[in-house]
Amino acid sequence: MTSTLIESEDRREYRTTRRRGLVVDLSMTLATILAALVIGFLVMLATGKDPVAAYEALLTGPLERSFRVGRWLEDATTLTLLGLSVAIPFRARQISLGAESQLYAGALAAATVAIFLPLPPVAAVIVPLVAAAAAGAGMGFVPGSMKARLGANEIVATLMLNAIVVRVYDYLVNGPLKESGSSAVHSERIQPDSALTPLSEWLGIPLGRANVGFLVMLLTAVALWLLITRTPLGYRIRMTGSNPHFAEYGGIRVPRAIEWSFVIGGAVAGLAGAHLVQGVYGRLEPGLAGSLAFEGIVVALLARNNPLVVVVAGLFYSYLRAGGDIMEQQTDVGTEIVVVIQAVIVLLVTAQALPDLLKRRLARRQADTSREQAGAAHGKAGTR
Amino acid sequence: MNSVLDVVLSSAFLAAVLRVATPYLLAAMGGLVAERAGISNIALEGQMLSAACTGALVAGYSGSVAAGALAGVTVAVLLGLLLAALRLELGADAIIAGIGLNLLASGATAYAVFTLLGDKGGTSGLKSGTLPTVTLPGIEDIPVVGDVLSGQNILTWLAFLAAPFVAWLFYRTRFGFHLRAVGEMPDAAASVGIAVRRVQYAGLALSGALAGLAGVFLSMGYVSFFVRDMTAGRGFIALAAVFLGGLRPWGVFLAALGFGAAEALAVQLGTLDVPPQLVSTIPYAMTLVALALYAWRRKRRGAGEVAPASL
Repeated sequence: MTSTLIESEDRREYRTTRRRGLVVDLSMTLATILAALVIGFLVMLATGKDPVAAYEALLTGPLERSFRVGRWLEDATTLTLLGLSVAIPFRARQISLGAESQLYAGALAAATVAIFLPLPPVAAVIVPLVAAAAAGAGMGFVPGSMKARLGANEIVATLMLNAIVVRVYDYLVNGPLKESGSSAVHSERIQPDSALTPLSEWLGIPLGRANVGFLVMLLTAVALWLLITRTPLGYRIRMTGSNPHFAEYGGIRVPRAIEWSFVIGGAVAGLAGAHLVQGVYGRLEPGLAGSLAFEGIVVALLARNNPLVVVVAGLFYSYLRAGGDIMEQQTDVGTEIVVVIQAVIVLLVTAQALPDLLKRRLARRQADTSREQAGAAHGKAGTR
Repeated sequence: MNSVLDVVLSSAFLAAVLRVATPYLLAAMGGLVAERAGISNIALEGQMLSAACTGALVAGYSGSVAAGALAGVTVAVLLGLLLAALRLELGADAIIAGIGLNLLASGATAYAVFTLLGDKGGTSGLKSGTLPTVTLPGIEDIPVVGDVLSGQNILTWLAFLAAPFVAWLFYRTRFGFHLRAVGEMPDAAASVGIAVRRVQYAGLALSGALAGLAGVFLSMGYVSFFVRDMTAGRGFIALAAVFLGGLRPWGVFLAALGFGAAEALAVQLGTLDVPPQLVSTIPYAMTLVALALYAWRRKRRGAGEVAPASL
């Protein structure tokens, strides 16, 4: 009897703590974004710009015309996939900086299949996607197994792989895969059947290059969330991340969990490359991804590596990017201020001490109030 | 093949190697100091970029090259201290904070240049000059040696002195001993009365200063202007050299020099019939293999040897 009482008390306390944690996390995320926007405001003010007009363009611009919404969704698709791709190794506490190499490998694989391999209609879309995911997974496997089996530093391994793959990509686009007879540097176009259908074709609104890749991204996010929260492999990855020694002690093969986290992440980054090829550019372009790979890390961080929240963070983040371009067109403020805002967000998000401080203070206040209540009850009992 | 040999053995090529290796040498030494102090400095890239931009801007507006260089290095030192503060005071992960600082540097430099000069590309509209080169009377006239050594930028000389300096610092000074102790076992270091935080702050400041010199060389040594994102991943390569060099000053020196030589070679081979992009992958592939071999050897030997955790 008593034991169930204690149990339910425990469970209640656990639930309050978890709820408090969630509230703190959410409010910290919002406060972080707000603080970063305020800092951006001050920077613009200090450099003699009109921050109000700039923020108006930044925050309302992307929704003003439907093709701007399309631009936003298109960017969000790539960015969210990249965010998801690093969130999985991050869950196993592996700092993979390899999204860049995985994306380029995926783009190469998707383009090669989509340009040269004749396929029947539906397969023409799916086979390049699968090829891209496989290529990305392969690029994830290299640093993943180096880390898991040999203990080689994954940061250096992924950075080296990025440098190699980007150069090979550059060589292929300038050489063997370059469109013959064209003076511009890019590959031939993919076969029409391989293109990801534009959303505007379905919805009847002009949405630019936004395409069904957006839905693929949403499905991927849900699948990864299920993987992480509901499957044994997800459990092993999470345990490895929260305490590798304990996981090992509990019979989890930690190296294998680490390796899988890299492979899965790599496959998702490969999909991001396929999206750029099959959905956005329709071919290989030099410098396909820009600095997007590193920005995926920001998205994952902001979402605290929860796949569903990554979607929200990715949408938010690419909204800022789309707004930044509009701000630059309409005002004299450069789009770089958005990068500054993003950087401030990262720095604030990494400052673990802030939410911990808040949580501790909340916990202490609660403890104080409950002690007071107990004290009051005790006092009452005493007088009686 | 003959022509490749001709290129490699020419004095112009050797001089180019010294020039190209300069930023790698300086930044890699900076990365080494931070790594041994126990805080990975992945912000090398951002520190170089900020220093390059500040140097060119200050030199351009003040008309003083020295003031520009000093300002550039100062900014990089401040970024180093900021990274240390984020790590030590706010409990941030050094890698993630470093990524944040790199983003900040990329955005802030481009924003500053655009705001001041209205040019998105860089500061080529601003006259800012370069740091002096050193001619060596006497040696200048010796056929090959003179061509290679004389006329190099003053920062190239400094870069080659950086390795012996760091080696001396690590193994011959009290501060270097404390630094290594703090990086390997902070608790043990604290227990014998070493001011762990102060040593780490100093290490990160020095790391920033070296990266700053590397950045200043890019905008005031190579050329006389700042170009957006002109570091182009050199900070990350320098970081790789730190690990490839086994976290030892002379090893890191050789690794950085190797990266410089490979890059110079890739540029030279562009004139021949070899794809330069593929040649330039060689050092990175080598690093990857070396990393794997090193880890494999260490694993086989067991955890007996004391090595910094980051390897």
